[in-house]
Amino acid sequence: MFIIGESIHIISKVVSQAVKERNPKPIQELAIAQTKAGADYIDLNLGPARKNPEETVQWLVKTVEEVTNLPLSIDTLNPVAMEAGLSICKKRPLLNSASGRTDSKERMLPLAKKYNTDLVLSVLTDRGCPPDVESRIESIMETVAYANELGIPNEDIWIDPILLPVSADQKQVGEALEFMKILPDILPGIKSTIGLSNISNGTPEELRGILNRTYMVMLGRYGQHSVIADALDKELISLNKGEMPEITSLIYRVMDGEEVDLSSLSQKERDYLKTTKVLKGETLYSHSWLEV
Amino acid sequence: MQFKAPVESYSGQVREITIGKGAKALKIGGETTLPFHFFDEGSIPNPPRFALEVWDMEPVTWAKWLLEPFKDVVSDPVKWAMKCAKDFAVDAVCLQLASTDPADKDTPPEKAAALTKRVAEAINVPLIVYGTGDEKKDVQVLSKVAEVCDGENLLLGPAIKENYEEIAKAALQHGHALIAQTPLDINLMKELNIKLGKSFPPDRIVIDPLSSALGYGMEYSFTLMERAKQTGVIFKDGMTQMPIIANLGGECWKTREAKESKEQGILWEGVTALSLLLAGANILVLRHPETLKLLREIIRRG
Repeated sequence: MFIIGESIHIISKVVSQAVKERNPKPIQELAIAQTKAGADYIDLNLGPARKNPEETVQWLVKTVEEVTNLPLSIDTLNPVAMEAGLSICKKRPLLNSASGRTDSKERMLPLAKKYNTDLVLSVLTDRGCPPDVESRIESIMETVAYANELGIPNEDIWIDPILLPVSADQKQVGEALEFMKILPDILPGIKSTIGLSNISNGTPEELRGILNRTYMVMLGRYGQHSVIADALDKELISLNKGEMPEITSLIYRVMDGEEVDLSSLSQKERDYLKTTKVLKGETLYSHSWLEV
Repeated sequence: MQFKAPVESYSGQVREITIGKGAKALKIGGETTLPFHFFDEGSIPNPPRFALEVWDMEPVTWAKWLLEPFKDVVSDPVKWAMKCAKDFAVDAVCLQLASTDPADKDTPPEKAAALTKRVAEAINVPLIVYGTGDEKKDVQVLSKVAEVCDGENLLLGPAIKENYEEIAKAALQHGHALIAQTPLDINLMKELNIKLGKSFPPDRIVIDPLSSALGYGMEYSFTLMERAKQTGVIFKDGMTQMPIIANLGGECWKTREAKESKEQGILWEGVTALSLLLAGANILVLRHPETLKLLREIIRRG
């Protein structure tokens, strides 16, 4: 699946400082590192972009395009910043994101048509985040129909189910996965993405990686098209390339409910097994899930 | 065609814990089925247990109809506890060491411990002891209480994420059971039990997930207790198989509603207690003896 590198986001102190000072170096270092690591897209997360939105996003786009040929994902909720960014991208960009919310349908969605971009559509509506599979389906069908009517085909649309952290709402993890599994049946030709690192938000830092990687493999089994993720996680890139077939097949076996003898596994395999069980909802999550 | 209700059976068990010593010993928990699922397979060896809350100082914020049953003993914790044991048919007394609050009277640990021992010895039921929740003060107070009441097999708490190590050590050393408290989060609850379990026996832990009053978050407590029971009894997660304490009296009686009238206060406490019983609370701490009587009657009839 495609990896959209998430490292350039405004929450990072390094990035926000560089943006504030218009210092290209830290931004370009991150762009180069992600490109070298094997990312397929570079995400530029500006957040709400309240201050000088047009100037800021265009500076960012130009700065990154100086050092990489990868297509960009413009990641902001501000339609003014979004338009300014999309309009100058050299390669066909990804509009990240629009949703079923009224203001987004009216102001964000049409930009994908105007600038001929790919479009991330999330399941959000005016009522917030749908709590289960059925309501996600209901919401996304409505939003995709709206996009189709504007002339945006399914092939240009990447659906985001909105992923919540396993430490905040373990049940939602299964709901999101189930939704991604059903997607190809209800919206033929549609693509997908997800904010992979959300799964481990709130989990102790050193344990985040294995949650991200395991969930990615689980999603991949159902044909996930792309993830917005940490491209600098070597093991994540490696897993995605199919370079760790024993781990991948172990995760699938656990997903299938197969009984696996722990004593036959290496430490790493045991960690992936336990993580899969947590993400499946079979084991109640706690920060010490690898120790039990 | 006759309807035949399905009968479920479960493979997990809630641990049974004993507090109090000798003739006073009280068993809590131990069930192998879901709360009140008398129609399913499995056993419920111990009925829900009820305690009344006693303060180590005369409360100033309690409504007059709440103080009414104890009005002649509220200034003497020992007499107050004895009255609960004698007149109100409690299974246990819960001594709230309110005066140790550093922001209020800041009673020193030694004094609190001496009083606790007098209360424990004066009553013929086991004693639950709660600190005020002050992270640092509770360590000193509960450690001292544990030491001075060595052998009484108290149920001591709250042990929280920030201070459980020392309190657990004192409880273990002096033979007491421990209340593990977390703020309405099932994942944090499991986490604390895992951490505690490294140095303290899991079969001496009682879970306090925090009980919120009707209208003030009760459903969060309800869902949590229900999930904890299901995870323990159905899915055999050892770190959620501890009995649950619902310390709800204080939460209910501090509401605006409970302060409007006696009937409303009893209802508030009663509905909250009944709901949490259905969710799986094994031992409940109430404030008004009439609520306790009402609940026993409901359970008896049910």
